[in-house]
Amino acid sequence: MKDIKILLIGQPNVGKSSLLNALVGPKVTVSNYPGTTVEITKAKKSFNKIGIEFVDTPGIYSISDRSEEEKVTERALFEEEADGVIVIADATSLERSLYMTLQILEAQIPTVLALNFVEDAEKKGIRIDCERLKGILQVAVIPINPLTKKGIDTLVDTVAKIKRIPKRIFTIEYDDHIESAIHKISSQTEKTSMPKKFISLRALEGDEDFYKYLMNDKIIREAKESLKEHPKVAEDIAITRYGTASFITEKVTRMIPLEKEKKSQEEIDRVLLHKISGPLATGLSLLAIFGILLYLGNLTQGVFTSLTESLLSSLAPAKHSIITMVLVNGLTGLALGVSIALPYVFLFYLFLGLLEDTGLLSRFTVNAEWLLKKMGLPGKSFIPLALGLGCTAPATRATRVLASENEQFHTASLFAFVPCSSRIAIIMGIVGFYGGMTLALSVFVTSFAAGLIWVFGIKKVIEIRSEPLLLELPPYRKPLIKNVFAKSWIRMRDFVYIVIPLLVLGGIVYGILDMSGIIHVVVEPLLPVTIWLGLPTVIIIPIIFGFLQKDLTGAMLLSVLGSEISLALNALQIYTFGVATTIGIPCMIALGMLIREFGFKRALVLTITSIVYGLLFAGLAWRIISII
Amino acid sequence: MIAYATTFNNLSGNAAKESDILKIVKEDVLRMLRERKKKTSIGIIKDEIKVAHALIYEALEELERNGLIAIQENSISLTDLGQESAKNILEKHLVLEDYFEKTRRKIEAHTAAHIIEHYVSGEVINNIKKLSTLKMGGVPLTKFELNKEGVITDITFSDYRLFERIVSMGIFLGEKIIITNEISRGVVVKIRNKKFALDKIIAEAIKVVEYERY
Repeated sequence: MKDIKILLIGQPNVGKSSLLNALVGPKVTVSNYPGTTVEITKAKKSFNKIGIEFVDTPGIYSISDRSEEEKVTERALFEEEADGVIVIADATSLERSLYMTLQILEAQIPTVLALNFVEDAEKKGIRIDCERLKGILQVAVIPINPLTKKGIDTLVDTVAKIKRIPKRIFTIEYDDHIESAIHKISSQTEKTSMPKKFISLRALEGDEDFYKYLMNDKIIREAKESLKEHPKVAEDIAITRYGTASFITEKVTRMIPLEKEKKSQEEIDRVLLHKISGPLATGLSLLAIFGILLYLGNLTQGVFTSLTESLLSSLAPAKHSIITMVLVNGLTGLALGVSIALPYVFLFYLFLGLLEDTGLLSRFTVNAEWLLKKMGLPGKSFIPLALGLGCTAPATRATRVLASENEQFHTASLFAFVPCSSRIAIIMGIVGFYGGMTLALSVFVTSFAAGLIWVFGIKKVIEIRSEPLLLELPPYRKPLIKNVFAKSWIRMRDFVYIVIPLLVLGGIVYGILDMSGIIHVVVEPLLPVTIWLGLPTVIIIPIIFGFLQKDLTGAMLLSVLGSEISLALNALQIYTFGVATTIGIPCMIALGMLIREFGFKRALVLTITSIVYGLLFAGLAWRIISII
Repeated sequence: MIAYATTFNNLSGNAAKESDILKIVKEDVLRMLRERKKKTSIGIIKDEIKVAHALIYEALEELERNGLIAIQENSISLTDLGQESAKNILEKHLVLEDYFEKTRRKIEAHTAAHIIEHYVSGEVINNIKKLSTLKMGGVPLTKFELNKEGVITDITFSDYRLFERIVSMGIFLGEKIIITNEISRGVVVKIRNKKFALDKIIAEAIKVVEYERY
């Protein structure tokens, strides 16, 4: 039997990823396009010989093209050629879920409604009559609970038979003037798989992506002109749709009066959303998380370094053979990769996942808004910036959550100063390890200061019209640990499969270049840079290699100076090296992602400018410090 | 003056929604009978409600079966049950039209009322009904008191996409709203057990009145 493809669609925080987890389980291969909140996750599993591919989409409230999440989901709906859609509805606010469901039904996509949070709704005294809802909408309505797996089997069985859309499906009846405008536009649409009425509606609502299906551009203008009774036709369409959704909700909902609900949620918010204690708690929590990461990072690095060293010495190889070089450099790279991946990447994403699933992340976003607005950034940039502490590449992609390209680019430029896990590893593993904690801390402070100067400089140059804050704050929930682990693994997979092999390869390539003597040809012309930084000439090698893959910086430094770094460099030099390698767009992979998001020219300008700025700043910083 | 069932001028293209249309035809028949306050012939109904005649017969049949109207030869009248039901429908339309006239231009008000009358939930209608007796249009959310229950009376944005986003999130006319927290750049509000952080600019575009006031 042929495989089928099903999209999972729902509001943010409605439990899409929990459902995906319940449907396919963590053991099934999940292919993922990196990025956060604007990612599409695909997972496949066989059920009774039918292969079903599930496509998880970013959370949205309506099918519109306002935000990147909506664009991604809209594209998935119409370009993934899915056989059907599971709309995950929130039983505690059915009308909102129905708004989107009605839009999907207008597009005549076969739909199953999975009703989540039924128990939560019952606690609030809300009972939903699923049979009645099914009767009105003419689609299957299945109550689910991904945590207890309730309803999951029924959902799978229904989905397996989703193939065709029933004939008598519910559609919204708009006002006569709007209906006749729709009719007029429908008669002049190009032939596509989408229903004509849907195309006409989207066009009337001003979604320009749908203009291409119209035979000519005049139709939409004429239709709007003929709608004298509806100067704001798009608004009236939205009102009717929401009105219909709440009408249906009222028909199928029974409210049972309850005694007062628990106040603990409100108590937490009183602190976390307070004007003073909120930002304070946010700052302290982030510092605590950061502290834990650095402490554990240090610990694992120590363990892995001594482990590799003892392994290498036990091999006791003959000197200067190619095989030895490959072994030594390769293993060093591997050890470094694992000691970064484990604490800085995996633990970081674990914390991020916990913050997300408990509902804390949205509160932190609200609190960070004030500071970010001061820097000319929207509150939502908190998410990509926080992700930047993990890895710049997926964080660059996550800037898509922001509305305008200027906002996206401005946020991406800050990745030059938000140290990613690899840069944190340099600061902690090299600067901190060989120069002490105070020195490591001063590198963090310096790059933060450099970032502030950069931000206010940019604010003077570019006018950024930022989106107003509009964010739903989900209730606090106990996170499902299994889910958080699965999510963290998905996010760090690329690091494991791409970065660690690159580290091993980089070490070996350096070994070959070094043995053949080519390396010195590269070093010569860049002499002015190392003079400006007040560092030994060979230092340029780890800096250059660092741009290929940031984690090579540490490995290369050890290669060129030997493991006795504190003998080769004084404290001030270690600090300068730390600053010079921290500030700037970190590596080729990040550059590649920037090119993909912002085009070759802007990406290259940003990368070069930020690196030069970092080098200038590092040179200036040590000069100022040595004068003091 | 209320136009009857203008919603169906364009019935031909929409065969798939009979049950939905039937509901509206039935509501319009009831409203019409109520407004005329006397026995009415099928012919008059056919003239006023411009839909396929088969649909009118179907609507009448169902209304009779449900005990809402009585048909004697060619004249139709409301039963007591029908009177009650029609009163609600008529009231709903008048409430909406009256209400929207306060916030929109007249022609827009009529259309807006007509659009949502068949759909809007009873609770929202009830709130709007109470609102329409107030002369004021409400204050911007930014000027509203913390922890006080209010009702949304108007949402005005020049940017349609922002309007749609807000409506689809469940922030709608007639909904009860409470400001639970004031944050540095706006407010946190609660609507039907859901919490939202809203920027000052958005909060300013949402008008509310105190729930206690009516």
